Amino acid sequence: MTDTLDPITLEVLWNRLLSVVNEQQVTLMRTAFSTVVRESQDLACGVFDTRGSMIAQSLTGTPGHINAMATGVRHFLRAYPAETLQPGDVLITNDPWQTAGQINDMTILTPVFKDTRLVAYFASTCHAPDIGGRIFSGEAREVYEEGLRIPITKLFIRDEPNAELFKIIRANVRTPNETIGDLYAQTSSNAVGARELLHFMSEFALDSIDPLADEIIMRSERAMRAAIRALPNGRYENESWSDGYDEPIHIKVAVTVEDEDLFIDFAGSSPQSSRGINVVLNYTHAYASFAIKAAVSPDVPHNEGAFRPVHVTAPPGSILNCLEPAAVASRHLIGHFLPGVIFGALAPAMPGKLIACGADPIWISVLHGKWPGSQESFTFSLFQCGGTGARAIKDGLNSTGFPSGVAGVPAEIVESLTPLVQYRRELRTDSGGAGTFRGGLGQWTEIGSPGNAAWGISALVDRTHFPANGLEGGGYGAAGEYLVNKSIRPQPKALFSVAPGDRVQLNPAGGGGYGDPFQRAVEMVLRDVVNGYVSLEAPEREYGVVIRYLGSADQLVRPPELYALDEAATLALRGQRPSGSEI
Amino acid sequence: MEGSAHHHRIGVDIGGTFTDLVVFDDVTGSFAVGKTLTTPGDPSRAVEALVVETLKREGIAAREARQLIHGTTLVTNAIIERTGSRTALLATQGFRDSIEIGRENRYELYDLMLEMPQPLVPRYLRFGAPQRTLSGGTTLSELDGAFVEQLTRELVANGIEAVAIAFLHSFSNPTAEREARAIIQRIAPHMRVAISSEVVPEIREFERTSTTIANVYVQERVEKYLRELQARLERIGFSGSLFLMISSGGIVTVDTAVRFPVRLLESGPAGGALAAASYGAACGYSDLLSFDMGGTTAKFCIIDHGQPLIAHEFEVDRRYRLKKGSGLPIKLSVIEMIEIGAGGGSIARIDALGLLKVGPESAGAEPGPVCYGNGGSEPTVTDADLVLGYLDPDYFLGGQFKIDLAAARRAILERIAKPSGLSLEEAAWGIHQVVNESMANAARIHTLERGKDPHRFPVFAFGGAGPVHGYRIAKALGSPALIVPFGAGVMSAVGFLTAPLAFDFVRSWPGRIDAMHWQKANALLDEMEAEGEALLAQSGVLPAHIRHRRVADIRYAGQGHEIQAPLPGGRLNGDSIPAILRSFEETYRRLYERLSESVPVEILNWRVISSSPAPQVRLQAAGVEPAVVSAAYKGSRRAYFPELGGYAETPVYDRYGLLPGTSLSGPAIIEERESTVIVGQDCRFHIDEQLNVIVEL
Repeated sequence: MTDTLDPITLEVLWNRLLSVVNEQQVTLMRTAFSTVVRESQDLACGVFDTRGSMIAQSLTGTPGHINAMATGVRHFLRAYPAETLQPGDVLITNDPWQTAGQINDMTILTPVFKDTRLVAYFASTCHAPDIGGRIFSGEAREVYEEGLRIPITKLFIRDEPNAELFKIIRANVRTPNETIGDLYAQTSSNAVGARELLHFMSEFALDSIDPLADEIIMRSERAMRAAIRALPNGRYENESWSDGYDEPIHIKVAVTVEDEDLFIDFAGSSPQSSRGINVVLNYTHAYASFAIKAAVSPDVPHNEGAFRPVHVTAPPGSILNCLEPAAVASRHLIGHFLPGVIFGALAPAMPGKLIACGADPIWISVLHGKWPGSQESFTFSLFQCGGTGARAIKDGLNSTGFPSGVAGVPAEIVESLTPLVQYRRELRTDSGGAGTFRGGLGQWTEIGSPGNAAWGISALVDRTHFPANGLEGGGYGAAGEYLVNKSIRPQPKALFSVAPGDRVQLNPAGGGGYGDPFQRAVEMVLRDVVNGYVSLEAPEREYGVVIRYLGSADQLVRPPELYALDEAATLALRGQRPSGSEI
Repeated sequence: MEGSAHHHRIGVDIGGTFTDLVVFDDVTGSFAVGKTLTTPGDPSRAVEALVVETLKREGIAAREARQLIHGTTLVTNAIIERTGSRTALLATQGFRDSIEIGRENRYELYDLMLEMPQPLVPRYLRFGAPQRTLSGGTTLSELDGAFVEQLTRELVANGIEAVAIAFLHSFSNPTAEREARAIIQRIAPHMRVAISSEVVPEIREFERTSTTIANVYVQERVEKYLRELQARLERIGFSGSLFLMISSGGIVTVDTAVRFPVRLLESGPAGGALAAASYGAACGYSDLLSFDMGGTTAKFCIIDHGQPLIAHEFEVDRRYRLKKGSGLPIKLSVIEMIEIGAGGGSIARIDALGLLKVGPESAGAEPGPVCYGNGGSEPTVTDADLVLGYLDPDYFLGGQFKIDLAAARRAILERIAKPSGLSLEEAAWGIHQVVNESMANAARIHTLERGKDPHRFPVFAFGGAGPVHGYRIAKALGSPALIVPFGAGVMSAVGFLTAPLAFDFVRSWPGRIDAMHWQKANALLDEMEAEGEALLAQSGVLPAHIRHRRVADIRYAGQGHEIQAPLPGGRLNGDSIPAILRSFEETYRRLYERLSESVPVEILNWRVISSSPAPQVRLQAAGVEPAVVSAAYKGSRRAYFPELGGYAETPVYDRYGLLPGTSLSGPAIIEERESTVIVGQDCRFHIDEQLNVIVEL
């Protein structure tokens, strides 16, 4: 289109559009029932032009939802082209292959009409509290076991609820009021978005937002392409392993930079699994494009334009493009690996800009059992994060989720909602991979029941066999540990029954290091030892730095003055090895 | 009752750059204003000098002043600059890292290089005490006293000055924390100790621990400063009461402030919001949007039914574009505000997409906007306002301060106009418009988040830049009116004088209301009310004037977050359940529209707010002669109004000459010493009894 919008008018209109989708999100969070939506902001909201291109998204959310929704809207429009829609119609689906890759994730799409003309769509995705089938785990063998699947269907027809569909949903879920309440919340948040958009269009006398969309998308695409052009052309490969369910899963990626386009192909990755850890292409695309966005242009606004130069493929029937009827409930355990694998591939093309692999998948453990002396049961989802990978210019973050954006849970909350006791939640010394910049630390946590009742845990954990790689010569982070009484290793994605008195250790992994550890500033090594991020003994081995503790063994307070660098020994160790050599 | 000589009250607000003072005569309503540069080394020096100078000028003896109410950024600065005491943390064994593990999530999705807030206590000074209290307050294992003894001796030997104690579930059972404190104080009588069950007895260990640390970390600095201030005031003959403004909008005695210094955070902005509430009520608007725009940030606060909204958590020292999650969490009652990085000093630039962006980077006070001539080279909002003719280069801060219009024009031309192919005027107008839009968008989202309709709220604009931008903000929000108070530049100090003396208390005692231990609940409420009564009595409030408000933090069982609902008075028992439920459901529906069906309700925390009646403050301009509009008319200058086709000759009025009842049409520029009001071409405005400029939109 012609450049009719000056930079100021465009900035004003664009900001207003962002404000509209944020109003949509605020309404969703205020009216939703499930706590995952309200607290963890496990949701996405967006506005789309008449061709189904995402123009703006709300500010928060998780990459898995935001990007999967953006591609999902195309599927909606194929199933229901514009001419089949009327004012007051609302569409729904939770089909994993059409949207966010998990049957709990509901996407609602609302067309917006100005007078009688369709001018835009609003969409939102969020995680339903229950959708029937098995309780959240990785154990299912087919998607049919995972709950009620709703193909793209009308949820409302000209403002009237599709009563038959509501009846079916109500009959199939454990929490009918919450699940249906959330569908209403999504519908009304889209309606608020629509109302504000129409208000905005009349205020600025716009008949259509398509020209504005073109301008926004064109500028974002241009910026994204410029960022990609800054990378050297070439094919960059990398691979990684997940624990998988019964056997390890291989993730293989080739990133090809071709001028201003970027191709990400996962050919060579494992075939799809017989258990519920499979990833649909939409979700693969979501985390792959998130990785590129974060790597090359974190400041470019997120919309269709940012996706266009990024092309994602994976062989049909593989773990990252699974085919029906694969089970998919725990797809995040694999999907969360993708950004780290892609960064690893791109590292040679972007020296000094990326981060090493971190703990990656968020750990979700469902704790359940009975309250002592009562038949009342409890079920609690514990979220835990390990360390992020070290960055090219800084250490990794301790116990912080990446790429997921979901929050952890305070011990006092765990203990008030279950009869269990958390005995420990502390940073895990020596778990951060060594490097010029150190990986983020994982945690040591321990849970048990002080009473004499048995309880159960369904842990969805990963990286217990394959620690996080470092980058540019950085070392591995420590692998995650899921143990009972510090010795037994239960199957990491299935239900385990805990005997009274036993304690479960859940120790998420540390992040990988960045750069040669022998190049790490001696003062940083010393500071890490003083603070116990690294043990007194480790630096000699890992960093070529010898530190002596001058205090007494029973001393509790050990300030920096009590540690001394053994300069001669350090020089000897560091001198032995030229910089940049193999570890 | 106070004698007739004791009807003066003083409000003092110490800000980053200026210390403001207002002396107010409760009987006549007349007031005087003072302003001086803050003295960062010893802020009490500027206060003393300013009090002496202003009282002398007004012919008031210091001993005639009944009260001095004070707000300060001292606590905020001590935390941001990390200049508090060397502090250690004593937590439950296994949980010393709660302040570093935090919430485990990132506050920004795409930035790979983001930083998390740094705890005030380094890890080598965090210790885990062998002891364990369980949910509900039962003891699993007793405190190991020998451990605490040894630790204390070593802390003393290492020059540690303060200890924060935060054990798990101490809000249900504070015994172990108190024991640990007793041991520390026995061995080290000079050690400052804060226990979490006193500072913030609420569930969630990360936030409680972080708040307890902040409290003890700043305590020494605050105490020293307040004692010094007391001494200085005594020396100059002030014999009235000294009170401190706190974050929740109440005021407290020096002793309380010293015990809980963390409550002094955000006291300046709280004053502004209180002023908005009080002025709004006086001119018949009980719902308002208060808009305070200064040099680096703008703040909005919703005034609902005459009261500022209160939140129970906020963050200090946000490191990343003021983003939520990038600061240290502080769990206490605070007047709820949204703060955005848009102020007079916000820098304008053309970004990588070719768009005009304004802020959040700010030129601050140093070097400041280009027009200040202190070496600033990047154009700012103030530069644009100057180019647009909204500010008078010869009457900036009443003419005390010369500014350079030519430099501002050059900077906007070079940095904005040329790269984007716009004229100078269009570029300057663009900066003005973009910063207004981003403020209005933030305000719109904030009001919606609180379940309010932004179109219904008149805008109450103050702060150095607020009155310049208020008109466009109010238009963008669809507000019915814009109100600019007299003395808009010193509103925080004015607000201090409108605050009731108030103390708030909280106790955690979680339970479902259908299985509540009512006797315990009553005991907690009684205990808090007795404490409030005692503190108010100490401050000279008559028992008959004391009011207690009871509030519960309440939610559907299983939800993660609570809402605050008022509780009925009197003894609570099983019969109170319907009234409590009614109150809960009313609040819940107002916030979230839809009730949840057949889910039981639980109470987490019990709160009491004990207060004296709020004083009425109405400013009367002293010594202003009755005058006609022609006396206020200063002439005209060219100011930019795109609706009028660009620059238009615009009448300029002297604020000090505009008397109640005056009614005029826009466009207009109204100048007072500390700020300038811009009124657009499409509306009328009048001056009300309180000397507010009321613009009808």
